Amino acid sequence: MTMTARPARAVESRPRHRSRAALATGFVLLAGVLAVVCFFSITMGARGVGLSTIWKAFTDYEPSNAAETVIRELRVPRTLIGIFAGAALGLSGAILQGVTRNPLADPGIMGINSGAATAIVFGIMVIGAQSIGTYVWFAFAGAGLATVAVYALASFGREGATPVKLALAGAAVTAILTSITNAIVMTNVAALNELRFWQVGSLAGRYFPVFWQTLPFLVIGIVLALGTGRALNGLALGQDLALALGQRVKLTRVVMFVTVAILCGAATAACGPIVFVGLVVPHLARMICGPDYRWILSYSLLLTPIVLLTADIIGRVVISPGELQVGVVLGVIGAPFFILLVRYRNLAEL
Amino acid sequence: MKRLLLLPVTAVLLLAGCGSSDSSPDDSASDQAWSFTSGNGETVTLDTMPKRIIASGPEAAALLAYGIKPVGIYASAPVDEDLSLKDLDLSGIEILSETYGEVDIEAATGLRPDLIVADWWPAEKAYSGLEAGVQDSSKKLGKLAPIVGIEQGDSTEKLAQGYEDLAKALGADMDDPEIARIKSDFEAARTAFQDAIAAKPDLSVLAVSPSDDVLYVANPELAPELQDWERWGLDVIHPDSPDPDFPYWENLSWENVDKYQPDLLLIDGRTYDSSLKTGESQPTWDTIKAAKAKAYANWPTYWVHTYSEYTGALETLTATIEKADQSIGG
Repeated sequence: MTMTARPARAVESRPRHRSRAALATGFVLLAGVLAVVCFFSITMGARGVGLSTIWKAFTDYEPSNAAETVIRELRVPRTLIGIFAGAALGLSGAILQGVTRNPLADPGIMGINSGAATAIVFGIMVIGAQSIGTYVWFAFAGAGLATVAVYALASFGREGATPVKLALAGAAVTAILTSITNAIVMTNVAALNELRFWQVGSLAGRYFPVFWQTLPFLVIGIVLALGTGRALNGLALGQDLALALGQRVKLTRVVMFVTVAILCGAATAACGPIVFVGLVVPHLARMICGPDYRWILSYSLLLTPIVLLTADIIGRVVISPGELQVGVVLGVIGAPFFILLVRYRNLAEL
Repeated sequence: MKRLLLLPVTAVLLLAGCGSSDSSPDDSASDQAWSFTSGNGETVTLDTMPKRIIASGPEAAALLAYGIKPVGIYASAPVDEDLSLKDLDLSGIEILSETYGEVDIEAATGLRPDLIVADWWPAEKAYSGLEAGVQDSSKKLGKLAPIVGIEQGDSTEKLAQGYEDLAKALGADMDDPEIARIKSDFEAARTAFQDAIAAKPDLSVLAVSPSDDVLYVANPELAPELQDWERWGLDVIHPDSPDPDFPYWENLSWENVDKYQPDLLLIDGRTYDSSLKTGESQPTWDTIKAAKAKAYANWPTYWVHTYSEYTGALETLTATIEKADQSIGG
């Protein structure tokens, strides 16, 4: 690369304003990519299943046929959970980054993962919840309570829940909850074993019961999230300017946090604490669409499931016949990608 | 704290004891050297017969069956849940661990053991509680005293006999008529088991341990009770590709669990209820025909160490086999 390329790149790294038509075309293209990824998610796995069998599993399902059961009862719910939980993680990441104006915000920062983890080990200890189907509710309640606690703590004081106070409250609540979780698993082996399985973050071992349990929350959360674009655009200008524009900042924040709690609570309950997608994909969306949150949210909605399912498929084939959990794959491919992103984009631009 | 305060006092008493032991009349008995050939083939020789024994959970139960009381036990589950310990009187025995691989080494050192009793696992080349997966501090247990144990090799019957021999070497009263009665009960249970198998010549079984992410299929070559049963005529299915790193099991993805089709599923008996629940929550569980038919039996996985425990396990299994349908697997 010649020296003359440098100024050009500086110009390019400024937020881009693409035409509506270009962005809409991109959105349709992404929907196509997601469809392709879903196809692979259903056709690839530990068991080789022919396309004709897969077709038959959908058109003329025979429950006594093992291969068809694998498609219908394992891979379909796994893919569906990947789509919805992925969308939820991406949207909640985008909202959190916008509302806290913190480029590093992700569900972890709000104490959501640790809240869910604490509730799960508590559930196992108290009522002996032993399968993911029973403790999904604990995870959801824990995530919700932790978010409420973080927001309430950060709201003390005249200026309300500012980004810095939210980050601090999140760190404090996470520390408390983590120590409670550790205290329980030190004395309860069953809780430790379940937590170990849940904590990696995976789409495997979750079937239709988990999907149906979390679906209503995911749908409500996604609908709410898609409606926050305009308010996020206002908040992006800063609290004072947003107030001056007539936005009810406090109310907006509360609505957004409720949305995030629903989205992350349900996604975390379904797949465990999956890191990186919620953090990285909104940045990726911002790179493509520019600063308009309405587009960032729409793109995150499709991009995150694509990334999540692709990582899941990679995990299925990379150490065959075993499987690598999607949380691990994302950590491995997500980290270098995030470093690249930080290197080439000024993330403090939010 | 109490123990720390007592230490100096004990030391003084010990010193005083040493001073006057020259003319002790017990000396002739403790002069006799003690030796025992352990499961790894090595012979442990001590100056005197060991009296202060720390034992792994099920091994401790075996010693207790012959009246040999260890000073400490390290279990891998809470002692009121551990299958071999839950019904035993453990008063006066220090519990050094109730979680696998986390032995309280400070307490163990305080017990001043002169012998550790633990199974020898030939595939891992390690004694129970000193395997690769345990905490580093736990491994110090092996430095406190010599270790002996019976091999978890090709037979649980041999394992039970081995612990009987060890108990005998440790001074157990073998004239107790109860010991002979327990052994004849076992032999009767074994004969009944063999008869039940002989009546079902086509019956095949598969031993499994279901988990959330995979179905573990037992490799009978490394499961002593399964080896016994094969020798007694039972058709136990061998998985074709056990995990090279941990060859006790083949790890079967839930997508592939219909790979083996037994007539009867033997479920990991250490966690029978929760394992079964985990299995039944998997959508593909029913693709195993025996699972669909709920043809389950309790597999006394590695925990049986005495003839009486074995008798109980065999009687339960015999009753299941007598009712089993040998055409389920097809």
